[in-house]
Amino acid sequence: MVDLQYLSALAERTVSMATHAGADRCDVVAADTDTISVDLEKGSVKQANIFSDPGVGVRAFVKGASGFAVCTGFDDAAVSRAAAMAVSLARAGTPDNDFKDLPVARQVRTLPGLYEPRVAEIGPDEVVSMVIEMSDIAGDHNKVTSSNASAAVSVCQVALANSNSFSSAQRMTSVDLVVESVARDGDAMFSGYDGCSGRRLEQGTIERVSTTARDQAVKGLVQTKLETGDYAIIMDPLAAGFVLGNAIGGGLNADSVQRGRSFLAGKLGQVIGSPAVTVYDDPTIEWASGSTSFDGEGVTAARSTLVDKGRLASYLYDSYAAGKESRASTGNSSRGGSVWSYRHPPSISTTNLVVSPGDSSFDEMVRETRSGAYVRATFDYPNLATGEFSGLMMESYVIRDGELGPAIRQSTMGIGIVDMLSRVDMVGKKPRDYFGVQTPPFRISSARIAGSG
Amino acid sequence: MEDLASRTIDHAMRLGAEFADLRLESSQGTNIVVMDGKTKTVTAQLSSGCGVRAFIEGAWGFAVTNDISQSSLSAASESAVKMARVAKDRAKVKFRISSAKAQRAVERYRCGTAPSDVPMEDKVFLASSLDRSMRSTDPRIVSTNARYDDFEGERVVANSFGTLVRTRETWTLAACSAWAKSDGIIQRGHDAIGMVGGYELMRTEGALSLGTDAAAQALRLLDSKPAPAGKFVCVLDNKMTGLLAHEAFGHACEADAVLAGASVLEGRVGQKVACSDVTLADDPSIEASFGYFSHDWEGVKADKHVLIEDGVLKGYLHNLESSSRMGTESSGSSRAQTYGSPPIIRMSNTFIAPGDWKKDELMEDTKDGLLIQGSQYGYVEPSKGQFMFKCDEAYAIRHGEVGERYRDASLSGVILEVLNNVTGVADDFMVGDPGYCGKSGQSARTSDGGPHLRVADVVVGGLV
Repeated sequence: MVDLQYLSALAERTVSMATHAGADRCDVVAADTDTISVDLEKGSVKQANIFSDPGVGVRAFVKGASGFAVCTGFDDAAVSRAAAMAVSLARAGTPDNDFKDLPVARQVRTLPGLYEPRVAEIGPDEVVSMVIEMSDIAGDHNKVTSSNASAAVSVCQVALANSNSFSSAQRMTSVDLVVESVARDGDAMFSGYDGCSGRRLEQGTIERVSTTARDQAVKGLVQTKLETGDYAIIMDPLAAGFVLGNAIGGGLNADSVQRGRSFLAGKLGQVIGSPAVTVYDDPTIEWASGSTSFDGEGVTAARSTLVDKGRLASYLYDSYAAGKESRASTGNSSRGGSVWSYRHPPSISTTNLVVSPGDSSFDEMVRETRSGAYVRATFDYPNLATGEFSGLMMESYVIRDGELGPAIRQSTMGIGIVDMLSRVDMVGKKPRDYFGVQTPPFRISSARIAGSG
Repeated sequence: MEDLASRTIDHAMRLGAEFADLRLESSQGTNIVVMDGKTKTVTAQLSSGCGVRAFIEGAWGFAVTNDISQSSLSAASESAVKMARVAKDRAKVKFRISSAKAQRAVERYRCGTAPSDVPMEDKVFLASSLDRSMRSTDPRIVSTNARYDDFEGERVVANSFGTLVRTRETWTLAACSAWAKSDGIIQRGHDAIGMVGGYELMRTEGALSLGTDAAAQALRLLDSKPAPAGKFVCVLDNKMTGLLAHEAFGHACEADAVLAGASVLEGRVGQKVACSDVTLADDPSIEASFGYFSHDWEGVKADKHVLIEDGVLKGYLHNLESSSRMGTESSGSSRAQTYGSPPIIRMSNTFIAPGDWKKDELMEDTKDGLLIQGSQYGYVEPSKGQFMFKCDEAYAIRHGEVGERYRDASLSGVILEVLNNVTGVADDFMVGDPGYCGKSGQSARTSDGGPHLRVADVVVGGLV
């Protein structure tokens, strides 16, 4: 890998090229990422991969119109071509008075918890050992017939520079684990999944994710059907993370809000959830997968409260959307999550979305539920225009009279996102991080379930 | 490129690989997004690189470089062999890649007008025109999004069996989304068109009407109601039948899922898995379709694969590895998103074949149910045997008549049950709904389709 100084100098030089070619404003990201990943299939190591991905992304503005060009590698001639092309593309675009400016230069403090030297030292043999350990634990049950696992370890170096003399660079590490157990009992078949993503590998993580996948696979073998009706629902962090990441991350995107495309447009300051719901975006959390010292445009990382005890407190802004309202960016211009990419222009996104924990244990939530469901996994998206959510309960369990029962076969849940947040009446104590969302489990007092019973 | 490829493969074999292959690529692409009358982004990608794979005793090593000089490709070969050795030491399942006939071909996919010959200003004008056509439809259209994508690439696939296939591939896609607002209600409509081919697609009526079609859908949905929840008889339109074929069955037929012990279709070849009216196929050879390719990303000649014939499961989709392990021939279903990703088994154009019912008769024969139209997205877990997909619009069917309009209906089902619940297959076959299918972090251009299809006992998720 090249070093950070080289990347910074390259980014700054490319800014000069784009400016010289006629850009009114421009920013450049130069990134160099090395990844080692290993896939294991049915208990046997299947493939070991090594990726090296250096490249440069140039965004140029001419009369407010933006052009973005990419080149792979750091070859001077290719970078120069990309700089000229970005300007040429911007010239082909529509002049846009709504674009005001890019962030101005300021000193960026490098946050702790982005780079773990120990992770950077991990070699292919160690990644192989990680997946084998995962598979051994995930397959350790007489009903588990297959365990599949993958692990990826990345070291990402990025430099960002712009025409307002901003220039900074950072190193980040990333560890991603995914494990699946498949269990069979006669004709019944079910799979359990778990995973994690962070900037380092925490003690006990491999055992926790592998045990979870195995236990969920076996639990799911006993299945029941549910009648269509209204039920209380406990959302696991896995299900909640996927739904909230899309609903809040997408619904609070200031660009969508300004264009009137979001169900949360016009709701700033209004109550959109129960007092138990507080949500914030925080890029400064040590070792979390979305943490960064500065955003994709160079805004210093800072925590933003989005929903404060049920009241909508802020949208997510990049410099373009912020400029439209003559306000400051919230630092939510993203070039990727745990690993930055030079291949796409920046876009608005959450960093680490955090739901504040409450004071209920998971067992208390189950105990206090007379008729309901525990939804562990769903991978559906809400309609961001209407805020309506209708999704498959991919992994879910019935709750009757305070007891967790068998897995629910073929059911979907439906509820508006504002109703979902407003009906949160219990929030768990223990958060988990899935898909860049740190959330505890929480209970929704009522949602519609379409069952196959 | 061919010389570089051959030397790189030879190098990997000399280092001890039992089998080696590579994908050496050079490409350019454009993406234009126009929002509310202004360009949001005009993007160009210039990309080149190579992914080298080495196989030793049941394990693969894969290495990628963005630099296509001989020295970098040799280094990538060395890394791939090294990674294969690391993996094979812990591989419990040992097998070999069965020798396959070497393919030699130079392919140039049909392309009328190369996108690179079209000035950027013309492409921006096209996207702007599509955007304008939505906004001019009706004052209730409050926001618009028009997108244009193109891709032109050269890909050399080479392997140690002597395969050397050079492919020049061009594809284009345009899509429109419109948001309509009335009485505080916002609804979104969308439409897309895409094909393997050149810019000539953008001059067709289908492309030019995308904006008005998307706007019309958004306006229609303004007076729709949330879909009801429960079990229904559903008549699926051509697009939804395609999505059903892709999600409910296609993924479970991918042999890598079967080998991983993660498909409910494992061990069911030759068994009845659908009613006898159902024939389902994946066919990459439909020229100009969005899922078209002539050789797959392992250099295997691609052909139509019938997965279900008259209700009986006939086989799986294979690559070189799965066919070697399962004692059959590769069906040419191996694809990689770019040189930077290892090839995996993917679908192409997936569809259910036409039946005997006239569409109108199928509707008239349906006493009480839902007509499901237009596909948004879907997903499946073959290991759980469950799938789900979401439509654009749904309509009540009462005594054969189409009634009330609903939005955002999600349909779920069980892989081993849904095609046994088919009660009517119409003869109005259509394939070509373009989309991108995601699997293992990779995206592949695909399309799907079929005739109108009636299915009993579908669980429809809704809010009421």
